[in-house]
Amino acid sequence: MELAVVGNSEFVTGFRLAGVKKIYEAKDDELESMVTKVLKDSDVGIFVMHGDDVNKLPEILRDTLSESVEPTVVTLGGTGESSNLREKIKQSVGVDLWK
Amino acid sequence: MGAKDVKPTRSELIDLKKKIKLSEGGHKLLKMKRDGLILEFFDILSKAKDVRSELDAAYEKANEKIGIAESVEGRMTVKSTAFAMKDAPQIELESHNIMGVVVPKIESSSVRKPINKRGYGILGTSSYIDEAVDSYEILVEKIILAAEIETTMKKLLDDIEKTKRRVNALEFKVIPELKEGMSFISLRLEEMERENTFRLKRIKA
Repeated sequence: MELAVVGNSEFVTGFRLAGVKKIYEAKDDELESMVTKVLKDSDVGIFVMHGDDVNKLPEILRDTLSESVEPTVVTLGGTGESSNLREKIKQSVGVDLWK
Repeated sequence: MGAKDVKPTRSELIDLKKKIKLSEGGHKLLKMKRDGLILEFFDILSKAKDVRSELDAAYEKANEKIGIAESVEGRMTVKSTAFAMKDAPQIELESHNIMGVVVPKIESSSVRKPINKRGYGILGTSSYIDEAVDSYEILVEKIILAAEIETTMKKLLDDIEKTKRRVNALEFKVIPELKEGMSFISLRLEEMERENTFRLKRIKA
């Protein structure tokens, strides 16, 4: 399995340097279709996105991303992933333990 | 199941008693599972927090390094170097079991490569690009680690929530209703017995 990265050209260049091959450059209006495409790709194990790009997606897709296990979605920058996990912990355990 | 839905017979009473015993056993087991999962979750939580902060730090550093490389070498040089990279990092997903929850174990290969195996020429590029590549390779390593731990945490949280719902359903819905049904049947049976005794007395008199 491989890593996949979706984002603007500045975000993805670094990952190209690290040798990642599944790189999808996308402008704001193409993000949704790219994310859907990557989610359907069975060869992708980890899916990397920028937190700000995740916030631009529709809520349903955001929920799908935060629930997705295969591929596992990792967000960088912004406050996306940690706040998602925080909400999930509050919902499941009943206490905000992410402090 | 309301108390009115049960037939007031002895066999039904025996059935209900069996169901209550089974439900109470299940409730006890599920409570133990929930507590065990929460303990596992606490272990993972501290790791997840550390990994998240390391990941954020690695991302910031990588951004800084690529910024320097782009300003020194130019964006086009960095991009063309990026297109020359050869081996893609490979990951393998294995699974292991934590109290019935299947969680992934991610093994990675070819993430960090020696400078001569990266695919771009060493002479044509500067050390700024090498540093940027290094920092992005470290970032990818951290991403893989974070993916494993955060997925484990998500799965544990899902299962904690599911088990909690089951425990609550058994504790506050299933067992009380069964007990209500059982007390209804025993009261009804006692009532029927009293009616029977009364009827017999009337016949005798």
